[in-house]
Amino acid sequence: MKPKRKIEPWLFLLPALVVYVSIVLFPMLQTIGYSFMDWNGIGEKTFAGLKNYSRMLSDKNLRTAFLNNMFFLLLGTVFQMFMGLLMATLLSGIKKGSNLFRVLYFIPCIISSMAVCKIFEKLLSVQPLGVIPALMKLMHLKPIAFLSDFKYALTWVTLIDGYKFCGLYMVIFYAALMNVSKDTIEAAYIDGCNWIQAYFFVKLPAIKNMFFVVLVILVNGCLKGFDVSYILTGGGPGNATELVATYMYKTAFSMSNFGYGSTLAVFILIESLIAVGIVKLIQKKFSD
Amino acid sequence: METLQAGKKTKIIFLIFIIFFVVLQSYPVFWVLIASLKTPEEIAGSAPYALPGSFYLGNYIKAFTQSSLVRYFLNSVVVAICTLFGIVVLSAPAAYAISKIRFKQSEKVLTFFLLGMMIPTFSCLIPMFQTYNTLGLRNTYAAVILPQIGFSLPMCIFLYVGFMKYIPNELLEAGAIDGAGNFRIFRQIVFPMAKNSTVTVVIYNFVSIWNEFTYANTFMTKDEMKTLPIGLNAFVGEMGRRDWGATFSAIVIAILPTIIVYFFLNKQVMEGMAAGAVKS
Repeated sequence: MKPKRKIEPWLFLLPALVVYVSIVLFPMLQTIGYSFMDWNGIGEKTFAGLKNYSRMLSDKNLRTAFLNNMFFLLLGTVFQMFMGLLMATLLSGIKKGSNLFRVLYFIPCIISSMAVCKIFEKLLSVQPLGVIPALMKLMHLKPIAFLSDFKYALTWVTLIDGYKFCGLYMVIFYAALMNVSKDTIEAAYIDGCNWIQAYFFVKLPAIKNMFFVVLVILVNGCLKGFDVSYILTGGGPGNATELVATYMYKTAFSMSNFGYGSTLAVFILIESLIAVGIVKLIQKKFSD
Repeated sequence: METLQAGKKTKIIFLIFIIFFVVLQSYPVFWVLIASLKTPEEIAGSAPYALPGSFYLGNYIKAFTQSSLVRYFLNSVVVAICTLFGIVVLSAPAAYAISKIRFKQSEKVLTFFLLGMMIPTFSCLIPMFQTYNTLGLRNTYAAVILPQIGFSLPMCIFLYVGFMKYIPNELLEAGAIDGAGNFRIFRQIVFPMAKNSTVTVVIYNFVSIWNEFTYANTFMTKDEMKTLPIGLNAFVGEMGRRDWGATFSAIVIAILPTIIVYFFLNKQVMEGMAAGAVKS
């Protein structure tokens, strides 16, 4: 359609542009600005130059949070991809009931992370006894308070976060697997493949691109991981489950250090841009 | 199973795994549901995985009468409706302009919006807090509605554009010949035709709005303004240690609306969320 007047498209766009710029873009630029300032959230902002950034480079807490976040990213990505693909593969192998099972598999995805955390808090509780420690007792193991144990807390936070989201990747992989052309698979069978060979050498390569799509979502999501750690363990015990986002949030809103908090927020922004860039680069290499 | 050409043995192994995952994925919700029906004695005395002896509703009565759960619930409803309305009202016209009105910068405008998908919420939270504080918006619905609209726009505009592209131009031109301007064509032809996209946009966003935690936790500190997720946190913090029964029933009350929506619209919810995730 040709516009009657030049201004017409802009009238349609204006409300969305105003909201988008004022709520998303402008605050982001403000954050970058604040990252160069000393500011406790109430008083005056004073220009601090690169002070916050040099503090960031030598911040031991940030290093711990970053390393935790890398563990969260690696284990979370592997766990969710594996679970998603496994569930999708199982369902793609049956005809009857795959819809019903898909609906059931997806349940954790639609529940708030708050509810998931509260449920797992009770499932894992040792005093009074929750289901998981009770099962450990049945197997004559000593119940462990996983969430307050320095060794296990981060793993459980990662797995609970992954548990909540893996259904999503099941849906994505399932759709991709069902889209692989039947002719290709039949041709593989005629050539004498058994179904395991057909799966690994025909089907999986055919959905190669989906792996990268999922990888981008996962890397992006894990680098911003927040809810489960913040709700379930508050970053603890000590800082065993501290992630970059929870550390940034606490720095700004619990310790009222808005200046340094903004610097950490910039760190999150740059970190996720770089990570997604890397994944996309690898994808390009692979698809050539 | 013919697609796999697998033998009986494989079939059975598949089935066992499938059932295992059904249990794994639905057990926590099932458990909290049955646990919410246990009497205080059962919760204290029986094994945590045991089934309740009877339908005991006392926990629900307690959760409803001794807390502001009803208030939290209403807050969540108001926030969800306003946010969804805002998203549709802003993104559909914008997508129409990008996909159907011919102007030079349309590609650039779309790219400009899509940039927003790469910006994490956390890199905007501090200035938002400051602005809402100065404007007196903290502890008002606007404080959780506005950011959610803003951050949903890129995705929703993208989804709408993806659909509107394929509406044949002849249809709009016919409207134009009848004397309709762009505003009428949008309102009477394109928006009604994009009904399915609107359904996708609404469902995809409903789940995440209903479950939203960060903004509500940051901007809603007054008890009477809390939405369900953070209200649940307050409730569990208060009751959690002494009254597990009431806690379980509060969790059930909090997750029930999404479960009900999901029960009726499971296909749209799954596909909507997957489509939303894939496109980001």
